[in-house]
Amino acid sequence: MGAGRAVSISLDGVRDKNLMQLKKLNSVLFPVRYNDKYYADVLASGEFTKLAYYSDICVGSIACRLEKKEGGSVRVYIMTLGVLAPYRGLGIGTTLLNHVLDLCSKQSIGEIYLHVQTNNEDAISFYKKFGFEITETIQNYYTNITPPDCYVVTKYIDPPQPKK
Amino acid sequence: MGASLPPKEANLFKLIVKSYETKQYKKGLKAADAILKKFPNHGETLSMKGLTLNCMDRKQEAYELVRLGLKNDLKSHVCWHVYGLLYRSDREYREAIKCYRNALRIDPDNIEILRDLSLLQAQMRDLTGFVETRQRLLTLKPNHRMNWIGFAVSYHLNSNASKAIDILEAYEGTLEDDYPPENERCEHGEMLLYKISLLEECGFLEKALEELRKKEFKIVDKLSYKEVEASLLVKLNRLEEGEKLYRVLLTMNPDNYRYYEELQKCVGLYSKTGQYSSDEIDKLHALYRSLAEKYTWSSAVKRIPLDFLDGVKFQDAADNYIRPLLTKGVPSLFSDLSPLYDHGGKADVLEKLVLGLEESLKKTGGYPGRSEKEPPSTLLWTLFYLAQHYDRRAQYDVALAKIEEAMQHTPTVIDLYSVKSKILKHAGDFTAAAALADEARCMDLADRYVNSQCVKRMLQADQVTFAEKTAVLFTKDGEQHNNLHDMQCMWYELASGESYFRQGELGRALKKFLLVEKHYADITEDQFDFHSYCLRKMTLRAYIEMLRFQDRLHAHAYFRKAAAGAIRCYIKHYDSPPKSSTEEDDELAKLPAAQKKKLRQKQRKAEARAKKEAEVKSEEANASGVSKQGKRNVKTVDPDPHGEKLLQIEDPLAEAGKYLKLLQKHSSDYLETHLLSFEVNMRKEKILLALQALKHLVQLNAENPDTHRCLIRFFHKVASRSAPTTDAEKLVSGVLEAERPTFSQLHDNKSLMEANTVFLEQHKDSLLHRAAAAEMIYCLEPNKKTEAIKLIEESPKNSVSSGPLGSVKESKLKDCVAVHKILVATFDDRDAALRWKNRCAEEFPYSTYFEGSLCSTITSNETSKQAHEAAENGGIEFVPSNGKVEKLDAMKNLAI
Repeated sequence: MGAGRAVSISLDGVRDKNLMQLKKLNSVLFPVRYNDKYYADVLASGEFTKLAYYSDICVGSIACRLEKKEGGSVRVYIMTLGVLAPYRGLGIGTTLLNHVLDLCSKQSIGEIYLHVQTNNEDAISFYKKFGFEITETIQNYYTNITPPDCYVVTKYIDPPQPKK
Repeated sequence: MGASLPPKEANLFKLIVKSYETKQYKKGLKAADAILKKFPNHGETLSMKGLTLNCMDRKQEAYELVRLGLKNDLKSHVCWHVYGLLYRSDREYREAIKCYRNALRIDPDNIEILRDLSLLQAQMRDLTGFVETRQRLLTLKPNHRMNWIGFAVSYHLNSNASKAIDILEAYEGTLEDDYPPENERCEHGEMLLYKISLLEECGFLEKALEELRKKEFKIVDKLSYKEVEASLLVKLNRLEEGEKLYRVLLTMNPDNYRYYEELQKCVGLYSKTGQYSSDEIDKLHALYRSLAEKYTWSSAVKRIPLDFLDGVKFQDAADNYIRPLLTKGVPSLFSDLSPLYDHGGKADVLEKLVLGLEESLKKTGGYPGRSEKEPPSTLLWTLFYLAQHYDRRAQYDVALAKIEEAMQHTPTVIDLYSVKSKILKHAGDFTAAAALADEARCMDLADRYVNSQCVKRMLQADQVTFAEKTAVLFTKDGEQHNNLHDMQCMWYELASGESYFRQGELGRALKKFLLVEKHYADITEDQFDFHSYCLRKMTLRAYIEMLRFQDRLHAHAYFRKAAAGAIRCYIKHYDSPPKSSTEEDDELAKLPAAQKKKLRQKQRKAEARAKKEAEVKSEEANASGVSKQGKRNVKTVDPDPHGEKLLQIEDPLAEAGKYLKLLQKHSSDYLETHLLSFEVNMRKEKILLALQALKHLVQLNAENPDTHRCLIRFFHKVASRSAPTTDAEKLVSGVLEAERPTFSQLHDNKSLMEANTVFLEQHKDSLLHRAAAAEMIYCLEPNKKTEAIKLIEESPKNSVSSGPLGSVKESKLKDCVAVHKILVATFDDRDAALRWKNRCAEEFPYSTYFEGSLCSTITSNETSKQAHEAAENGGIEFVPSNGKVEKLDAMKNLAI
């Protein structure tokens, strides 16, 4: 798989100046057009949203939203994670997800979750590799795709053990 | 100075001068007023007060006071000097020189005045005067380095380089052996290099080389030293030594094309035309292969062989050159190779080559003959290259297919959108091109280049308001539009002038063109400071080069475009002066009452809107004025933003004449210059000047359709003149009679119609030539209109127009547009024009002008405009969410 040559993969933040790159990606990766709130969340999430560059070409992204739970703690919701078709299998998705998992652990965020359509086995096994587990099933989550059900996939992260 | 005053006032006077020099104007003004209280008529004080006020932006008072001062004390060199300074500050250099000369008559040895005078003389290229002044300065102060150098430079400028050498050698004679001290080594080295360049200029090559080598240790700029040495060796035909040196230079910079060229000259493998025998090609090939082994990092050494190789060797070299660059992803690859497309055969080879790469990449994911897989982006860049390739070859449908394939592969690469925009532009769809460029812009709002490109496309599509708003995004906030002018952003002014011209807004167009003209005046002006600076800093080679550049400044393409644009505006204005208000009222009276009312309402609304805008603007101006209080140059509001006043002139042709003169002086090699001169002078009825323009045209390009038009029109017009009565008229007739036989087109006493027929026969395959001939038939014999139109309509469909390979089709589209305009304007035949339009719409389906079936204005009508508006500030707006959007988030996983 892949090029067999070292091609650099780098991450960059999302700002109002390059927001269009994310919009372009989403318009081909997902069958949905995201609303203003999505992009406002993206800009507010800071380091938790990243574009991935494959030798200076923008080919993928991860977009998260920070949610406050009752009691004041914060959890991360992955809104989108995607890589352009020709560039899959090169470790770019892994790089993106690892980046966010690292951030969570550094900032002592204990919970990260997302929704996956129940028949999407590739995705489920992808997330399982990173220690995610199915924690809930929501019936009739989707209105216009089949199956309409989704899983909530969650990973609980232990806070880094303070060295004694 | 101030000699006639008692001691106390004399001290005050010194204070004024000191305050002026230290820019403490208020203090100086106080002192001046104190003297004037006692001696209200003291000339020098009045003058100095004037000069001080000049620096406080009180121009009118300044001139009054300085003149009054001079009147009271005509014998004072101070008063004259001050008067000169005042003129100088207003860039009235000729007047200033007069004043300085008067001052020197009274005080001939005044160093300061002499120095000021010399600067003005250099600026005005009063070279004899410059030499004189410089000589006086040296005689007065021979111990000053700058005076020696200035004297030498003055002789050099006055075309006496050998005298300049003598002066510099005499100067060197005054120096100690251990000169220069450590802190002046650079300056001295520059002086030596300048002297050597003078020796070279005089043809003393041996001596130049000898001197160079002798002074090697004193020359700090080692690179220049080597370059000069190498170039002298080549000129002296000492090629072996030259070769060695150029190889050394190449190790220092293996990407300098000039070094390679000179190296080729040294080994006897150079041809100006780039044409080589097969033997020479083999030798060159071997040479560059050996160089490539040495300079592995150089891209020049890999690229240059593509120029001279041919056949299979070219194919192999191109293949080796292109592959790594496609892998790496070099967006400029096509521009890099595009000169090769001028050699017909190479384009075919490249096409085959890259198509082969594409096929292999799609099938195996790697290059042909390689097992290794390429990164996915290689296919993207290959498609990107092919799109530009087919664009260049005018196969716009294939080009668009390739670029769209690339966009599907990776929709985030901005260059793809830029190139698609360019393809559409070439295919004639300016609206879609502008929309695409805007999409590219939105993908990186911090990129000035894509922003500028978008502005340009918008102007090409005549969307001036959008263009202005977009351009302003990259100017300093607050300053807005003026800022573009301050940045001397000439491409913008030209493009927007041309757009206004197309839309018939002559005033606005003229305004833009004249702004560009003003930039050139400013650039000329800008050299002033360097006359003293360069002598002081000893950057003499650069100084001379700068002066020579300034001397041919107005030959620059942008100036040519601006001047030609302005002249066209004046001509068009002369041909169709705007209607006076009474005429407008008359027209209004003819309309039915309901329509009249609507029109009036519209006008009133427009007026109200304009007024409101003006108010907002002046408020803005006030606000910014306050914030910058205290600073000089508070921005004044433009009293004529639409250039209306520029059109309210008595004699537009006389205005045009001003710019025409500059074109004739600096761009006499261009057909356009003389075409414009012909048009202006025909309108002015200046028969002999028109004849002169015609002769230039025939000399430059007798076969050009426009030249032909001018020739026929000229002699047709002359023939219809009434018999000469006055002496002057007889003289003109005499000249015409003598000149007519010098035109070979009219030999053997051919009639104009016969000449026209000959011209048509010679060029019957070219559309533009046919159109010119047809137009002339109609001009000579208006009753042959149908025949003339038939001539155009019968032009072969795939007639080849002039122009280099590849760009044929684009220029053909332009030609067809031109012909359509002739059918509308000259022949005034709507039916024929419509037939022509339909024919062209078929041939150019993307053209918005001909409303071809694939152009955006037909396919999407208003949608592109809407998208455009939505995209105005940052992005395409997405459909409003239906509340369920987020739930679909999980779909993302499909994409992993």
